[in-house]
Amino acid sequence: MKLPKKWLCEYVTFNVTNDEFVEKMMWRGFECAGVEKELAGVEGVVVGRVLSVSKHENSDHLHICDVDIGSERLTIVTGADNVFDGALVPVAVVGAKLGGREMAAVNMRGVTSYGMLCSGEELGLTNADYPGSEVHGILILQEDYPLGQKIETALGFDDDIFEFEITPNRPDCISVIGMCREAAAALGQSFREPKIRPVRGEGNAADYARVSIENYDLCPRYTARVVKDIVIEPSPAWMQKKLKAVGLRPINNIVDITNYVLVEYGHPMHAFDLACIHGSHIVVRTAQENEVVTTLDKRERPVTPDMLLIADESRGVGIAGVMGGLNSEITDATKAVLFESAVFKGSNIRATARKLRHVTDAASRFIKGVEPVGAELALERAIELVAELKAGTVVGAMIDVKKETPGDREITVGVEHVNALLALNLSAREMADMLGTIGIHARPAVGGLHVTIPHFRTDIESGIEADWDIAEEIARIYGYYNIKPTLMRGDTFRGRVDELFRLDDQIKDTLVSLGLYEMYNYNFTSPSVFDALLLPEGSELRKAVRILNPFGEDQSLMRTTLIPGMLDSLVRNANRKSGHLRFFEVGNTHVDTGAELPEERKKIGVVLGGEGVDFYLLKGMIEELFRAVGVKDAVWQASGESYLQPGRAAQIRSESGEQLGVCGELHPDVAGSWKADGRVYVAELNFAAIAQSRSADKRFEPLPRFPAAERDLAVVVDAGLESIVLRRVIENAPAGVIVSDVRLFDTYVGLGIPSGKKSLAFSFSLRAEDHTLTDEEIKRAMDAIIDALQASGAPLRA
Amino acid sequence: MGMMESLAQLREESEAKLNSCRSPEELEQALVDVLGRSGSLTSILRTMGSLAKDERASVGAFANKVKAALEEVVAEKRAALGEIAKQRRFAAEALDVTAPGAVATPLGRLHPMTQTYRLIRDALVGMGFSLFDGPEIELDDNNFTLLNLPKDHPARDMQDTFYINENVVLRTHTSPCEIRALTTLTPPFRLLMPGRVFRVDEVDASHSPVFHQIEGFVVDKGLTLGDLKGILDSFVHAVFGEDVKTRLRPSYFPFTEPSAELDVSCSICGGKGCRVCKGTGWIEILGCGVTNPHEIANCGYDPKVWTGLAFGLGVDRMANLKYGINDIRLEYENDARFLRQF
Repeated sequence: MKLPKKWLCEYVTFNVTNDEFVEKMMWRGFECAGVEKELAGVEGVVVGRVLSVSKHENSDHLHICDVDIGSERLTIVTGADNVFDGALVPVAVVGAKLGGREMAAVNMRGVTSYGMLCSGEELGLTNADYPGSEVHGILILQEDYPLGQKIETALGFDDDIFEFEITPNRPDCISVIGMCREAAAALGQSFREPKIRPVRGEGNAADYARVSIENYDLCPRYTARVVKDIVIEPSPAWMQKKLKAVGLRPINNIVDITNYVLVEYGHPMHAFDLACIHGSHIVVRTAQENEVVTTLDKRERPVTPDMLLIADESRGVGIAGVMGGLNSEITDATKAVLFESAVFKGSNIRATARKLRHVTDAASRFIKGVEPVGAELALERAIELVAELKAGTVVGAMIDVKKETPGDREITVGVEHVNALLALNLSAREMADMLGTIGIHARPAVGGLHVTIPHFRTDIESGIEADWDIAEEIARIYGYYNIKPTLMRGDTFRGRVDELFRLDDQIKDTLVSLGLYEMYNYNFTSPSVFDALLLPEGSELRKAVRILNPFGEDQSLMRTTLIPGMLDSLVRNANRKSGHLRFFEVGNTHVDTGAELPEERKKIGVVLGGEGVDFYLLKGMIEELFRAVGVKDAVWQASGESYLQPGRAAQIRSESGEQLGVCGELHPDVAGSWKADGRVYVAELNFAAIAQSRSADKRFEPLPRFPAAERDLAVVVDAGLESIVLRRVIENAPAGVIVSDVRLFDTYVGLGIPSGKKSLAFSFSLRAEDHTLTDEEIKRAMDAIIDALQASGAPLRA
Repeated sequence: MGMMESLAQLREESEAKLNSCRSPEELEQALVDVLGRSGSLTSILRTMGSLAKDERASVGAFANKVKAALEEVVAEKRAALGEIAKQRRFAAEALDVTAPGAVATPLGRLHPMTQTYRLIRDALVGMGFSLFDGPEIELDDNNFTLLNLPKDHPARDMQDTFYINENVVLRTHTSPCEIRALTTLTPPFRLLMPGRVFRVDEVDASHSPVFHQIEGFVVDKGLTLGDLKGILDSFVHAVFGEDVKTRLRPSYFPFTEPSAELDVSCSICGGKGCRVCKGTGWIEILGCGVTNPHEIANCGYDPKVWTGLAFGLGVDRMANLKYGINDIRLEYENDARFLRQF
């Protein structure tokens, strides 16, 4: 919302600096995004007089001017031919800014030019702004302005334009009138609200046109007036200047009037050429099947039966609230005009504009909300302007089609309740006075504060929310800064980080202590990753949730696994030589189960690349993680995930069979799809399964009182044998003593071992609860273990 | 030469011999030579039996004195030699302490967003808040309608939404957790709801379609706008330090009434105005307000009895502010050179 200061000053006494004003408005809930100059991009251009013009010796087309800018005389070279001795011109001196460019002294064929003479176009001016602005060459000023004066001041283009951001609850403030009302209150000034002088006109509009509404739900009120003997011409300079100040392009008097009223009162209007309305009958109806309306922007737009049209007796002449039709456009030949000022249902306009992908300024106003009294005010204001501009002969009587006459809404607000919400202690009288400053009439009454909601405050509810709405108004006026911070009272609460959040912390902290960096990847993924992961048809990981309106196909799915995103980031790190290729991520994945909401699965991903990584490093990290969070006795089994290298993939289950996760080396084809160099190891663990499988109990076991004997031995077995089998054999051998800490410490294939075989070396401890083992006991235990291994097909290595 | 003289001479000779030793081994050998079983002192003492009784006593006393003196010399010498040996070892083993340390696995890094989230969380947990979780893919009802944002409400355009279908969305804020809390817990409560949220925002330096919020939600009897100010002030001071100033100014959200936004004085320029705060000296960090009575009523509670206070803050933005990160994209690129800095 652009609010020109000069326009504001017509209705409000402005007695502060711009910065103070901006701050006061901020405290009222109106954020100012910036203050623009009316003559945008022009800075440091001053009035100067050309004392003399001489030809440049080294050029056919350049002239050297001696220019007086009051404080000094400058030599300026120009290429324009229209300057003459004594001409008054705009001068961009060294250091001035013009269109984002800063002026510097430049050497032009041997002569230094200390600045530039400006054309009207360079200043952004047209003939309507200042006569002669559009001539070819330098702008020659007509009046005798003081030398050295800023050009924007000299020409009267020195306004400041405040750009306010209006929150969606205040559509009334997307208008000069609405903002002036609030600004006056913020400045502690009275609001000199303009009074519209109704124009009676001659005759009766009903003799020229009639209006029917077929759908009152979508159009609760339609007002119109007729103006005949129209003279289409440019609007006057003052109106053009104001329109341009708020960024609108002047077109002609009739269109400019509707735009001007839009800016001033915030209500969109439309002007139809009455001669083009068949049957002189406006019908507000929904579109028929296969109907097409060509709008003012010359585009043919197919419309659908859920859209509201403004039609005549034979065709659509506009899409209600969005854009008028080309067939009834105001042209230079227009003789009679029907001004429309109506209320259309915002949600319907929103749907229409979105469907047509055409959210016009008018449409956005209807979407944000307009109201029936405002419609009438806007129409009367437009007619007043028609009369003032002598744009035509106003015909008497307003056409007004509506179901019910809008009345004032009355509410009673609980004074105590408002005070309680705001921690204040105001009387009903004080509240009434405060509300009065923003045009809300209120008076103390039995049971609270009686409030008459003004027609323009559509945001204030008469229902359940009324107390809160008024509380907000009171808080705004009282000043949020005046409300004292307090400590909550009531029961004491025990704040805590619940178990699952604590587990999240524990997992992340453990993985960090293992040297991993934490990643945050997007949830969006491409359908192509499933093939890249070689996932079989029907894999659960293919059951991704699809986004209806994604950025693109490659971001159209919600991830079902963390791995693809992590690989993207891993490869990016490798390419950038970031120096670290070990990462984890904890994040949600989603699987479409057919239920209304997909299943959300929190996962923990690990990716390892670069030097010194292998399967057992990754496995070791996962084992450490399990130890840290209390998952005991996880079972590791060889498995066959499609994206992992066969023979180097494992599934991890809890003792009770929970699927804890998968782990392995990335399949070379998958690594190839990601252009990953070298071997990459990945794991993906299920957060919920870990949460369920952990036991937080830590129980003390007495330390052994007698020393253990450390022993080791090596056996030769088939190369494919899983070492866990032999570990169990050793643990369960009838050794007669306690066998513990069985650990595979070496695997050997090569010289001395037959092909197809491997040597496995285990270490373990032997001890007894109540005495130090004798040599004899140790020998018996070792014999029992060796026999058991032998019996399992694992003879001692010779 | 009498025995006394022999002892005196022996003492002198032995002292010289012991003192001349250059290594602990040499010293121990010399010790054996003098005081050992067949050492020179011992052999002198062996001849004492031939002396007269009274003479024997005085010679014996003198011999013990000599022995004690020699033992003292040995002890001193031993200490001196030990010291020399230590000094030699120290010189030989001196290290370059400026050379880099070596651990098998240097520590990894927590993402700055996780660190920021924990900082905020800890501040609020200290004020009696507990954690509460909700799903990233939500019902439109929870994300909008029950929060007082019915279909076609113009304010829905404030948050461009990713849809799964007509009734299911990627949550655009953590506020749907409020509905889940109100419908599954019994007030009073003080909750903290962290999570990932999604909006149709093209990626640039300050926008990301995926970002993180923490929602604070208190429901109790008799809460006030002043209480909200109190919570936010203590929380901001815990996260950004006591010197930071706050500014609670009016704003609009459909799910709060009155609504406000909280600004903090710019930590980059100290409030003087800079590029980060766009010259204003203030940075907006969160939206908040008194929970809209419709929301409380929609969940089956009487809004005249139960008051809600709610605030939602962007973790990404807070992390960027806290660490002076100037581009939100860095948070999701996972470049180790970026992560290593935190």
